Amino acid sequence: MDFKLSEEQELIRSNMREFAAKHVDPIAAEIDENSRHPAEVFQKLAEGNWLGIPIPQEYGGAGADRLTHVIAVEELSRSCASTGFTLSAHVDLACTPILLFGNDQQKAKFLTPMAKGENLGAFALTEPGAGTDVMAATTTAALDGNDYVINGSKTFTSNGPVAGTYVAFAWTDKEAGRKGMSAFIVPRDTPGLRVGEHFKKMGLRASQTSEMIFKDCRIPKENLLGQPGQGVQIAMTTFDHGRMGIAAQSIGILQAALDEAVQYSKERIQFGTPIARHQAIAWMIADMATDLAAARFLAYYAAWLKDQKQPFSKEAAMAKLFASEAAMKHTTKAVQIHGGYGYIKGAKVERLMRDAKITEIYEGTSEAQRMVISGNVLR
Amino acid sequence: MPEMIACFKWVIDEAYIRRGPEGELDLSSVNYKISEYDRNAIEEAVRLREAHGGSVIPVTVAAPEAAKGVKDALSRGGDRAFFIADEAFHDLEPSQTAAVLAEVIRSRIPHDLILCGEGSGDLYAQQVGPRLAEHLEIPCISFVQKLSIEQGRLIAERKVEEGLEVVAAPLPALVTVLPDINVPRIPGVKDTLAAAKKPFVTVKRDELSGKYEAHLATLLVRATQMERQCERFGTQPEDVARFLESLRKKGAIGQKGG
Ligand SMILES: Cc1cc2nc3c(=O)[nH]c(=O)nc-3n(C[C@H](O)[C@H](O)[C@H](O)COP(=O)(O)OP(=O)(O)OC[C@H]3O[C@@H](n4cnc5c(N)ncnc54)[C@H](O)[C@@H]3O)c2cc1C
Repeated sequence: MDFKLSEEQELIRSNMREFAAKHVDPIAAEIDENSRHPAEVFQKLAEGNWLGIPIPQEYGGAGADRLTHVIAVEELSRSCASTGFTLSAHVDLACTPILLFGNDQQKAKFLTPMAKGENLGAFALTEPGAGTDVMAATTTAALDGNDYVINGSKTFTSNGPVAGTYVAFAWTDKEAGRKGMSAFIVPRDTPGLRVGEHFKKMGLRASQTSEMIFKDCRIPKENLLGQPGQGVQIAMTTFDHGRMGIAAQSIGILQAALDEAVQYSKERIQFGTPIARHQAIAWMIADMATDLAAARFLAYYAAWLKDQKQPFSKEAAMAKLFASEAAMKHTTKAVQIHGGYGYIKGAKVERLMRDAKITEIYEGTSEAQRMVISGNVLR
Repeated sequence: MPEMIACFKWVIDEAYIRRGPEGELDLSSVNYKISEYDRNAIEEAVRLREAHGGSVIPVTVAAPEAAKGVKDALSRGGDRAFFIADEAFHDLEPSQTAAVLAEVIRSRIPHDLILCGEGSGDLYAQQVGPRLAEHLEIPCISFVQKLSIEQGRLIAERKVEEGLEVVAAPLPALVTVLPDINVPRIPGVKDTLAAAKKPFVTVKRDELSGKYEAHLATLLVRATQMERQCERFGTQPEDVARFLESLRKKGAIGQKGG
């Protein structure tokens, strides 16, 4: 057993920490307030190969392992969960399925520019009537000569308004059930694709989320990802990777909450002593630090399994479930530790608490994770 | 095309130092980093290489744990590195570091220019650069905030007490840089991965001929404690008198007539 990160992983962590402190911390409150996508930060992330960490160099990525990517998402999310998630959605939800299921031409044409950061990717599965119940989707793709014609609408597409490449899901054969949905690569400028305005959200406000409307949207047959009918499998495999990203995001949020809580509780004096000396506060911090360590081990373990080419689906779901619930629980405590000051805009913990909530919802709600995990355990 | 050496020190990241209960330094959970100004030295060498070609060779004298620092330096643009490493090289004095560097550089590393940070993040003794130049008998230009090579000569802008001084020197020369000289770039992911594959030479203590004895003994290291106090004073003459009296009482200024 070896709990030590490699020297490269440690260096990459401190480089991302430095990057985030320099380029993201100063704007995090502003982009939250204005729901703004920090394009200038993504330009710089692209220059440092941060937008394709686990993608092989032959496809424009950095060629590092998954664990390194998880560490980078964590450190970036520690400064801004929206920015960390935008990166995770791009890599985990869009680059990854093309890497795993795409053919050589698709990897050259779509993955390579994405992994270089020339355009961002997005993943469009959820529909107004189909969230947890993926099979309730109604979007269809009909083969017409050498094209597929897509009709229907997607919602809650992260990176929707800012992406250049979408991985979208539609029925090619509704009768075939789980084997009837297919995945497609849809470039942004495709006629018939309309990207909606981005939603105003409770938290994660700098991440852009929108509807996507497909109206007789015609894409060439070559843009089918994987085989016809492989869509559900592609979506589930993609989620296995994305959940490590959400776990990493949650850990970043949790670390930031702990940093804030430690600092504030040492400085704030009540009853003549720093509040950290009151046992009630100290114990909150103990629990926070403990859950953070546990969440981090779970997430790193899932990524390590992936890097060892071992099954990691259950572990990724556990990491996502545990880390996201810990983030929500302890950001609430971090606000508590700040008292009234934590409830005021401008306090970082206020943003952390709003940002934490989404981690329990997307890429499978906590309930959905428990279904995956219990399904695995009870098999 | 200039061969450039960038000397760097692998130091404790001060953000991780904590104060123990007795005022001692608690180093139990510290991280290490390349001393800040040495990052500027490496960056400046990389910039000069971008303009003039040549190569950049990071060099450090350190304990073996600093291997990660060698990778870090290579990820910042070094072509190949020298790692002068030994258990005995924990906490070297500046005079020892300079003498060890001099022996290795003189015997093994051809050079046109040596860059050092003005001082290290831990001791900030500002001695290694000038001492090293003295050992090698080459010109030393300190406090440099702008540097260029023109027709084979160094042109350096020095920040001196009152204003600027622009000096020229023939190569080879040694320069110690201030942080204003550049903004070190943050290595990208590929830079870090590529660094692991770049060559470096490890030099051990027993390959050196000098004795390098210590001259200083550290008796005690203690954390200082800063206490903040707050008192309010008005702007009337009697308030000013009260303000001065208060400062005297605290020993912040001398006694009357004293
Ligand atoms: C900010 C944001 C970003 C998103 N990004 C993306 C994206 O990039 N791409 C994408 O495709 N989707 C995205 N989503 C969609 C997200 O994945 C879904 O919101 C999520 O899967 C839940 O679906 P739903 O909202 O329809 O809730 P529902 O599925 O309607 O669930 C409502 C509640 O019922 C529970 N529930 C549902 N079914 C069961 C069951 N069988 N047993 C027990 N409980 C159940 C749920 O856990 C939840 O508590 C995003 C959502 C948000 C809010």
